[in-house]
Amino acid sequence: MSRYAVNSLLYQLKKDPAFRSRFIKDPAAAIADLDLTDAERAAFVARDMRKINELGGYLHLVISIPSLAAH
Amino acid sequence: MGKIVFAGAMSHVLDPDYYQRVCGDVGRQNTEEAMAAIAKMGERFSATKADALIVVADDHLNAFSFNCVPAMCVRIGRQVQRMSQDHAEAFDAVLEHMPTTYPLHEALGNAILEQGMAAGFDLALSWEAPVDHAFLAPVNTMHGTRPIPPLVPIWVNCFVAPQPSARRCFALGQHIARVVAKSPWNVGIIATGGLSHFPELSVPRIGETDTVFDQKLIHWMERGEHEPLQELTADELHKSGGHEFLNWMVLLGAVTPARADVRYFGELRRINLAAVEWRLA
Repeated sequence: MSRYAVNSLLYQLKKDPAFRSRFIKDPAAAIADLDLTDAERAAFVARDMRKINELGGYLHLVISIPSLAAH
Repeated sequence: MGKIVFAGAMSHVLDPDYYQRVCGDVGRQNTEEAMAAIAKMGERFSATKADALIVVADDHLNAFSFNCVPAMCVRIGRQVQRMSQDHAEAFDAVLEHMPTTYPLHEALGNAILEQGMAAGFDLALSWEAPVDHAFLAPVNTMHGTRPIPPLVPIWVNCFVAPQPSARRCFALGQHIARVVAKSPWNVGIIATGGLSHFPELSVPRIGETDTVFDQKLIHWMERGEHEPLQELTADELHKSGGHEFLNWMVLLGAVTPARADVRYFGELRRINLAAVEWRLA
């Protein structure tokens, strides 16, 4: 688990609308170059915010990313 | 000779619509009651005609990205911007109707920073970090349409482990009190956040609070018993969802040994909302 990789990606998804749009359109392609574990990558591709939180993603990010937030 | 003329602490998601959505009618009712109590606290603060308002709060991973997470940070400069967020979700949406720019008390911010360096408090500084709902919801609820005095925003890292200890936060408050005492200014101080919510910062535990833990904190604050509060551990705060009480610890250090009066406490399944004011000599 990489706390930095997961959370910097969450932060970018929250703060960068263009990146968020690319991610929503094709998540696997948007994160292809990032240094994530297989489990982290699968959780992001599935847009599974609960799993991302379980893998170390900070709660306040996973519940506040536009269009992707866990509730 | 300066003086702390007002001290209060309160929850900082002050949005009846948000709590209506996540808790139903009781969510709206409790939030409106808490906001009414905070507005009255604001009237008492405004009556002091203070020169500045220190606001101790946390960043919800908005102002500071993961290239740097300061343990404690003073916002310096002449003004601060409200955080902007496109298509804001949840508690970010509460910011949208608020003014975008707020004046800062540059001299007091600099004094806390510079005298801190001389006294062993190596505080971080920022000229650019924006402030989110943790600062602006309480400040705007307190003031309504009245003018907001120059602010001194101070961030405490409440969420990204390892956080500063409760005892260290209390010591920061004692430092702030010394700076104010040596200054020519009358100053208010508020701390925001809490009480218990989001235990272990875990999505499956959203909706849990720890009322027993919160009442223990309130009991000690009402009695002015600040030593056991300084002994709170990171583990206790994490498990109870009391992360943001670190902000309150800074205020407690600034006003110790003053006793607190509870202006509002209301249980919700999502969070225990609270508003507390200290009896200052």
